[in-house]
Amino acid sequence: MFEKLKKYFTPAESITADEARDYMNSHAEGTFTLLDVRQHSEYEKAHIPGAKLMPITQLSDSIDRLDPEEPVIAY
Amino acid sequence: MLVGRGFKKVYNLQGGIQGWNGLEAEGPVELNMDMISGDETPSEIIKLAYAMEQSLGEFYRVAKTKTKDDSVVGLLDRLASIEEKHKQYLLELYNELGATPASVESFDDQAAEQIMEGGFRTNEFMRRNERFLSDVRLLLDLAMMLEAQALDLYLRFADKTENERTKSVLHRIGDEEKTHLIALGKLRDQHP
Repeated sequence: MFEKLKKYFTPAESITADEARDYMNSHAEGTFTLLDVRQHSEYEKAHIPGAKLMPITQLSDSIDRLDPEEPVIAY
Repeated sequence: MLVGRGFKKVYNLQGGIQGWNGLEAEGPVELNMDMISGDETPSEIIKLAYAMEQSLGEFYRVAKTKTKDDSVVGLLDRLASIEEKHKQYLLELYNELGATPASVESFDDQAAEQIMEGGFRTNEFMRRNERFLSDVRLLLDLAMMLEAQALDLYLRFADKTENERTKSVLHRIGDEEKTHLIALGKLRDQHP
């Protein structure tokens, strides 16, 4: 129980824009997930090419579409 | 939430989209998604991508007739030749699938589509963007925007497709687009 709760409060690692770009350029598509958790209107104005849109408000319903084994870069 | 749900590696992009200093795409998730049904075979997707490369190459060739600036003309030639290499890559990818070998001629004949990479309609795009043909830097920015939209479109196609082999092909095309974008970025850096 404690371990489960601890996981919920474990912060994700932070990554700079340069590091994220290097990561995406050096890893094949399909081996990682670029995740946009903003709202539709924000995505529509500008998003990082290839980002999957899953607004944070709907993330818990759509999270099963993602592969937990793949690294995720979220914004 | 992702860490708590068992995701092995999760990174938060510092500053979110505001902190992003690379290329961006625009438009809703559904933009140009009516171009595919989602159950295309790898061959069908490669033919579609080929047609879009063909149209973009044609755009660059027609654009040459609309400018007298030698440096812009030189760049348009270079961009058109890059599209030719892309087409060659797609043809090799197609032949790699083990289907009946295809030739450049047979692909060119089928590529009558007037939709460029990224999903733009050729004539309309030319009309709206002729001003970008006045300067090498503007033209490079335009080319990079087109490639960013193309990368985004191919990866949204991959997300929609049900066929795992087609998905894999779309990822490989996306990787090729990334390589192209990196090369264009280096070229753009030479024209501050």
